[in-house]
Amino acid sequence: MMAARGSGRRGAGSGEARGPDPQEEPPPPLQAVLVADSFNRRFFPVSKDRPRVLLPLANVVMIDYTLEFLTATGVEETFVFCCWKSSEIKEHLHKSKWCRRTSPNKVRIVTSDLYRSLGDVLRDVDAKSLVRSDFLLVSGDVVSNINVSAALEEHRMRRKLDKNVSVMTMIFKESSPGHRARCQEDDIILAMDSTTNRVLHYQRTQELKRFRFPMSLFQSNIETVEVRHDLLDCHISICSPQVAELFTDNFDYQTRDDFVRGLLVNEEVLGNQIHMHVTAEEYGARVSNLLMYEAVCSDIIRRWVYPMTPEMNFTDDETQSYTHSKHNIYRGAEVSLGHGSVLDENVLIGQGTVIGSNCSITNSVIGQNCKIGDEVILDGAFLWNGVHVADHVEIRQSIVCDEAEVKEKVKLNPHCVLTSQVVVGPNITLLEGTVISLHSPDEEEEDDDEFSDDSGVNKEENKVKLKGYNKAEVGSEGRGYLWKADDENEADEEEQRQNLWGPTLNPEEESETESDLSLGSEQPDSRTASPQLDDIKVFQNEVLGTLQRGEEENISCDNLVLEINSLKYAYNIGLKEVMQVLSKVVMEFPLQQLDTELDPQHYCVMLIPLLKKWSPVFKNYIKRASDHLDALSAIEEFFLEHDGLHTSIAKVLMTFYQLEILAEEMILFWFSQRDTSDKGRQLRKNQQLQKFIQWLKEAEEESSEGDQD
Amino acid sequence: MPGAVEKESELSERIEAFVARLKRGGERLSSEEAARQTVGLLRKIIGHGRWGSAGELMALIRKEGKRMTAAQPSETTVGNMVRRVLKIIREEYGRLHGRSEESDQQESLHKLLTSGGLSEDFNTPYPPLRANVIEAISELLIELEGTTDNIAMQALEHIHSNEVIMTIGYSRTVEAFLKEAARKRKFHVIVAECAPFCQGHEMAVRLSKEEIETTVMSDAAIFAVMSRVNKVIIGTKTILANGALIAVSGTHTLALAAKHHSTPLIVCAPMFKLSPQFPNEEDSFYKFVSPQEVLPFTEGEILSKINVHCPVFDYVPPELITLFISNIGGNAPSYIYRLMSELYHPDDHEL
Repeated sequence: MMAARGSGRRGAGSGEARGPDPQEEPPPPLQAVLVADSFNRRFFPVSKDRPRVLLPLANVVMIDYTLEFLTATGVEETFVFCCWKSSEIKEHLHKSKWCRRTSPNKVRIVTSDLYRSLGDVLRDVDAKSLVRSDFLLVSGDVVSNINVSAALEEHRMRRKLDKNVSVMTMIFKESSPGHRARCQEDDIILAMDSTTNRVLHYQRTQELKRFRFPMSLFQSNIETVEVRHDLLDCHISICSPQVAELFTDNFDYQTRDDFVRGLLVNEEVLGNQIHMHVTAEEYGARVSNLLMYEAVCSDIIRRWVYPMTPEMNFTDDETQSYTHSKHNIYRGAEVSLGHGSVLDENVLIGQGTVIGSNCSITNSVIGQNCKIGDEVILDGAFLWNGVHVADHVEIRQSIVCDEAEVKEKVKLNPHCVLTSQVVVGPNITLLEGTVISLHSPDEEEEDDDEFSDDSGVNKEENKVKLKGYNKAEVGSEGRGYLWKADDENEADEEEQRQNLWGPTLNPEEESETESDLSLGSEQPDSRTASPQLDDIKVFQNEVLGTLQRGEEENISCDNLVLEINSLKYAYNIGLKEVMQVLSKVVMEFPLQQLDTELDPQHYCVMLIPLLKKWSPVFKNYIKRASDHLDALSAIEEFFLEHDGLHTSIAKVLMTFYQLEILAEEMILFWFSQRDTSDKGRQLRKNQQLQKFIQWLKEAEEESSEGDQD
Repeated sequence: MPGAVEKESELSERIEAFVARLKRGGERLSSEEAARQTVGLLRKIIGHGRWGSAGELMALIRKEGKRMTAAQPSETTVGNMVRRVLKIIREEYGRLHGRSEESDQQESLHKLLTSGGLSEDFNTPYPPLRANVIEAISELLIELEGTTDNIAMQALEHIHSNEVIMTIGYSRTVEAFLKEAARKRKFHVIVAECAPFCQGHEMAVRLSKEEIETTVMSDAAIFAVMSRVNKVIIGTKTILANGALIAVSGTHTLALAAKHHSTPLIVCAPMFKLSPQFPNEEDSFYKFVSPQEVLPFTEGEILSKINVHCPVFDYVPPELITLFISNIGGNAPSYIYRLMSELYHPDDHEL
């Protein structure tokens, strides 16, 4: 159906366009903006030594996956924006194949220490006017084999047809809830128009059990609205240059979420739309925390990202050549495996690694030049380059970074992290979720205000060894500090673990306590949610305050409208909610003044002058038919809550009618609505109200008769 | 010479692009196209590259050839074409060197044994070598273009009226072969769909468009239907040095069923698919792709608990194969070694 409509319109459009250029212009070379900084500290303290985009994922650094994805999909020019440890990223890129002359994808590196968010980067893109047409926006930790050409084609077609209304196409991958590559932190729920693929509502789930969608979604004239929770956000978006401009115009946009929410909320005002593209077969995921790191790594080993598999060696690095054999065993050059050692399945071993005898290794990644002793058990272990593991060690689902050392008879329980050059052991068992780093956790407090991955690492050289290592934590020969909020309470510990690994997906771990804790604990970014109930409450209080001041200081109605409007934007409230809140606040106003429950007569006496005074405010908001109904339902709600005042409803409505705030046909329509509660029906049986309605009907008949004459 | 430098950089760019394309899975590149592109690239290297003697040229071709083969080990045609070009250089050099064609060919076991000591050096520069080699390569390209037609021409000798023929998956060569036969004879084709990629569906659609009576069935029915089949005609990705096949997965099942019912198994394959490699040298023949088609990513939770594999190719041992039909005629698997020595020089087997 969409195709038919689209082609019809295209036919009309191309008729005009055919005159100047008969042949379609070839699309300009595709550009991409790659943000090589996460602007958060999810990988702390791992990212203290190395920027996140240079962390190895199946022995290849993350940014190489992203660049390969961009190149494979046909991008010809990529701008890499670096902030934290930009020199290291630069050095890596200069050495890589992306900066060779023959590379089909020209990589340009832009560095600045001033970037604090994605918003800053895009504002810079706009300021330097780097992009000429539609571009891809990705972060440096996206692993994907998606071919975006289909999505790009759709995007360009939409922009051609609807005159630049659609500014962005987000790419999603279908994956059912509970998939290991769906971490709860990034989990989203969205509403879309299924005929045009337009995004109507976008929200992070944030472990909420209930969701609220604005009613307007379903009341608008969109034929079918789909609410989807089976999508994985690939964090790949096709943006038009307008996106960068919009970031400049709205200097408070920090993240892509801000942008998406901003656009969706102000859709009527700005007239911009966001669309989406769903892929079922290709792979795309963002490594946003260690849980995702684990999931994406094992997906690479299990060949989900084909053709980006380890043995393809897409980076053209000679030290990265692997052979692939059955059960997904990848071996680099010069790997030695001791007698009796078993590589079970899904194992990747880097060049020059030596493994002792009688080891059992499964679902693990081992970097280059590692030394592994005898009778070692590795299950779900991620060892980076140059790791030394002594005899009788057991490592499960943990990450051991560059040149760390694990001494004899150490046991690492799941979700442990040993950062660069840490030494642990011998004879020690690390509890689940232990994080050990050479950087003391205390260093970090000073620069807590920084948003980026970074912090003043240079300073730390002076401060090293202010404090001795705790032998009980890291073993008698150990080196490193335990990273935990000093066992203050369980909640902190939970938060710490959550910070590194992200919330787990296993249903058995999702106990009541955990969800309580995570809800109670501070959300990493409270702005990520779409408008929520709380906002409306706060808004209501603010409106009340405004009106009170207006009453006391006799502020003119125009100014009141202005204030309410600014509040509306500040709290992201829709017009409809404004209507309801305003009606409610005004109706409750007399009650607020006197605190006691009033009798109906007294109430009317107090309310009517207020209504008269503020009628311009109402008139400003009540314009369309639906506004009238919203106001009426708010009034009804108020009277349902205050039984004692039932009798005054007729008088109040009469006043509204006389002030020409509410139209008679709307009042009649409201009255005749059938789908009301029992209480509502009771309210409608009110004698005075009946009389008022009767009167209205007669008046209408008279006027219509008059018209006929 | 700024022009030469420019040309060289353009050339290396093209090689780079070709290698990258192969690495990314080739975007469904057909073997014939891969062969043609490889030869085309090698011709450019010979034309524009910097080399003085045949020895230097061979080193250059080897170096680039190695990179191209390593990019996608399962695409054996690339390596085969590199070897063919090396052989051409040897021949042209030999001719200029004043050796007769006869002595160049390694005939007897005795000669093979003794030839080790007589390794010739390729260091004498001959100015006409470049032109001669390029001309010979152009001939090779023309030969490549005609391969499918040459194979299809033999169709009437093998397919008779009212026969029931089984095939699996989609093969361009088999398609041309069957279509050619259908112009004169009427027969029935049964296509095994070849899950999980189901290329068999495409094959069936193409055949039925030519008014050939076609039936599609699932791979599981191969054995059951085999008793009705007169002949099995399949394509292949690679012919190995021992006469075995690396063909689309499911072919081994088909070949075993054919053997059980003593149904002849005919393999249509152009000569450029003949590779001087033996099985089990390395596992790189096996190509595993994303498991998406076997168990979709949308399955969710179960995926973290199981391992899913999706191999693309099967190894089919030579004893299951009755006949090879190539562009130079029909041959039994046992004769493959002979064709090998005609096409490639033994020193080039290892690049």
